[in-house]
Amino acid sequence: MKKLIKNPHLHFIFLGLLLMIVPKLAEMGLFKVSYVTTLGGTFILAIAALGLNILLGFSGLVSLGTAGFMGLAAYLSAYFTVDLGLSFELSLILAVVIPTIVGILVGLVSLKIEGIYLAIATLAVSEILRKTFEEFDFFTGGFSGKTASYPTLLGTYELDRAGMYYFVVAVLIIVMLITYNMMNGRLGRALNAMRGSEAASQAMGVNLLNHRLIAFALATMYASIAGVLYVHFIKYSYPSIWTLKLSLDFLAMIVIGGLRSIYGTLLGAFIVFAVPDLFLKQIPFFSEMSYVLNGVLIILVIIFYPNGLINMFADIKRLFNKLSKGEGK
Amino acid sequence: MENLNGLVLKVDALSIAFGGLKAVDNLSFDIKENEVFGLIGPNGAGKTTAFNCITQFYKPNSGTLLFKGRDEQVHDLQKKKVHEIIKLGLVRTFQNVELIRELSVIDNVLIGAHVDFISTIIDQAFRLPRARREEKALRKEALRILGVLGIEDRALLPAGGQPYGVLKKVEFARALMSNPRLIILDEPAAGLNDSETIELAKLIRKLRDELGCSILLVEHDMRLVMDVCDRICAISFGKFLAVGTPKEIKENRDVQIAYLGIEVEANA
Ligand SMILES: Nc1ncnc2c1ncn2[C@@H]1O[C@H](COP(=O)(O)OP(=O)(O)OP(=O)(O)O)[C@@H](O)[C@H]1O
Ligand SMILES: [Mg+2]
Repeated sequence: MKKLIKNPHLHFIFLGLLLMIVPKLAEMGLFKVSYVTTLGGTFILAIAALGLNILLGFSGLVSLGTAGFMGLAAYLSAYFTVDLGLSFELSLILAVVIPTIVGILVGLVSLKIEGIYLAIATLAVSEILRKTFEEFDFFTGGFSGKTASYPTLLGTYELDRAGMYYFVVAVLIIVMLITYNMMNGRLGRALNAMRGSEAASQAMGVNLLNHRLIAFALATMYASIAGVLYVHFIKYSYPSIWTLKLSLDFLAMIVIGGLRSIYGTLLGAFIVFAVPDLFLKQIPFFSEMSYVLNGVLIILVIIFYPNGLINMFADIKRLFNKLSKGEGK
Repeated sequence: MENLNGLVLKVDALSIAFGGLKAVDNLSFDIKENEVFGLIGPNGAGKTTAFNCITQFYKPNSGTLLFKGRDEQVHDLQKKKVHEIIKLGLVRTFQNVELIRELSVIDNVLIGAHVDFISTIIDQAFRLPRARREEKALRKEALRILGVLGIEDRALLPAGGQPYGVLKKVEFARALMSNPRLIILDEPAAGLNDSETIELAKLIRKLRDELGCSILLVEHDMRLVMDVCDRICAISFGKFLAVGTPKEIKENRDVQIAYLGIEVEANA
C-alpha cells in the first residue's frame, strides 16, 4: 500500500483524474465554463514548456523559438484537416514530424554556436516562421487567421469542448509520464552530464551531436504537439499569437516553476498563463500589468527560489513537520 | 597491427604543439597489463596534455597510440572519436572534479555506464521491461561500487553538497562503472588530506588486484607515486626524461635536476 502511495507514476495519473473533474464542476455551476478553456490552454502551453525544459533545464541549450514551432504545427494541422480533409490522427503525425525535422536542423546549428548566439539563431528561425504565417495566406489565411474545428478521433468520436479538454489532459499526463521516464533514465543523465560538463560527458561516452539533436527534436515535438492541440481546442490561429512574447512566456514558465521540474513546469504555466486570466483580469489595474508582473515574479523567484517555486511546497512541508514535531514535545 | 604482447597501452613518439609551444614532444612509454604506471613531471610539463591526447580530447600532431580494448583487439586510438574511447575500456578522471552537482551521487556514477545500456529511448520512455531490468541491474552495480569505496550511504544525496574527498571517490566510482581496462587518474590526491591519501593508495592497489585493470596515474604527491606505482615515467617540458621503478627514478640524475632540483641543491 505504502509502495503504491509513493509510486511517482500513480501521482501523475492521480493528477490527471483530478484535472478531469473540472468540466464536471463547471457543469454543476461551481465555476465559469470559460475556466475550462483557460485551464485547457494552460495545459497545452505546459506541454510546450516541458519540451523547453528538456532543452534548457536538462541540456543547457537555449531556444527562443518555441512559439514559432508551435505555430507552424498549429497551421499545418489546420491546413491538413480543413483544406486537405485528412484525418485528425494523420494530420497530428504530419504536423509533429515536419516541425521536428526543422527543429533537428536547428539542433545541427547548435553544434557550432552557443549561449546567446543560439538564442538569437532560434529567435531568427521563429521570426521567419511568423513572417511566413503572415505572408503565405493561401496556407495560413494571413492576418485574418486560420480556423480549425474540434477533432474527430478515429473517425467516429466527435469531441466537443469538454471532450477536447479531457483529450488535452490525457495528452498532458502521457507527456509528463514519458518525460519523467526519460529524464530519470539514461537519456536524462546524459543530457544533465552534457549541461554540467561537456568534457566529462564526452569522456563517459555521451555523443554530444546526437544528444543535442535529441534535445532539439524532443523540444520541437512537444511544441508541435502543443500547437496541434491548441488549434483544435481554441479553434483558430493568428500570426500575432506566435510572437517572441510567447517564447519568452515559455521561458518564464520554466524559470518560475522550476528548471528540470515536471510539476514545476505545470505550476509555471499556471502562474504565467492562467493566473492573469482567471484572477488578475477581474482587477482593472492589473489586467494591463501581467507583462510587468511576469518580470517581477521572475526576479523574485531567482532571488528567493532559484530552483523554482515548486520547491516552495517542499519548504512548506518541512516547516509543517518542524511545527508538528515542536508540538509533540 | 601489432598485438601488444602483455601491454594495454603503447604511446610512441607522441607530439603536440600549441602555437610554438611543444607541450608534448616525442614522448614514448607503454603500460603493461595489471600495472600501476605513474607519469610525473613539474607543473606545466605536459602530463594533462598527454592524457588529453591519449583520450582524444586533443588530436596529436604526430605519434601513434595503440590500446588493447575490452574486446582483446588492438585499437588505434587516433581513429576514434572522443566519446568512443570509453567503450574500448579506457576511462579517465579529471584534474578538477567534473561531476553534475544537481544529480544524486548514484546517478553521477550511472553516467559511467552510459555506453553499456542496450535499451533504446523508446524502451525507457515507456518503461518497457527491458529498460526496467537494465536500469535496476546497473543501479545495483553502481551501489556495489559505491560500497567498495565506502560511500554507499551517500548514494541518494545530491553530489553538489558533498565534501571534496567524497566527490573524488564519486568520480572514481563513475570511472569504475564502465568496467575499464585502463583507468587514467589525473592528480587523484590533489586536495586530499594525509589520511585520505593513504586510503587512496590502498584503494588503487586494491582495484588493480581485484579488477585486474591497469592504472595510469599523474600525481604531484611523490609519496603516493613512489608508494603505489610499479613503474614511473618522468617528463619535463614535454620531453621524456626517464622510465623505471620508483627506486630507479628517485636515483636518476636527470629527474633529480628537473623535478627534485630544489631539494638536491638544498641537500648539497
Ligand atoms: N589547450 C591549450 N592551449 C594552449 N596551451 C596549452 C593548452 N593545454 C595546455 N597548454 C600548455 O601546455 C603545457 C603543458 O600543460 P599541461 O596542463 O599538460 O601540464 P601538466 O603537466 O598537466 O601541469 P600541472 O602539473 O600543472 O597539471 C603548459 O605550458 C600549458 O600552458
Ligand atoms: Mg595537469
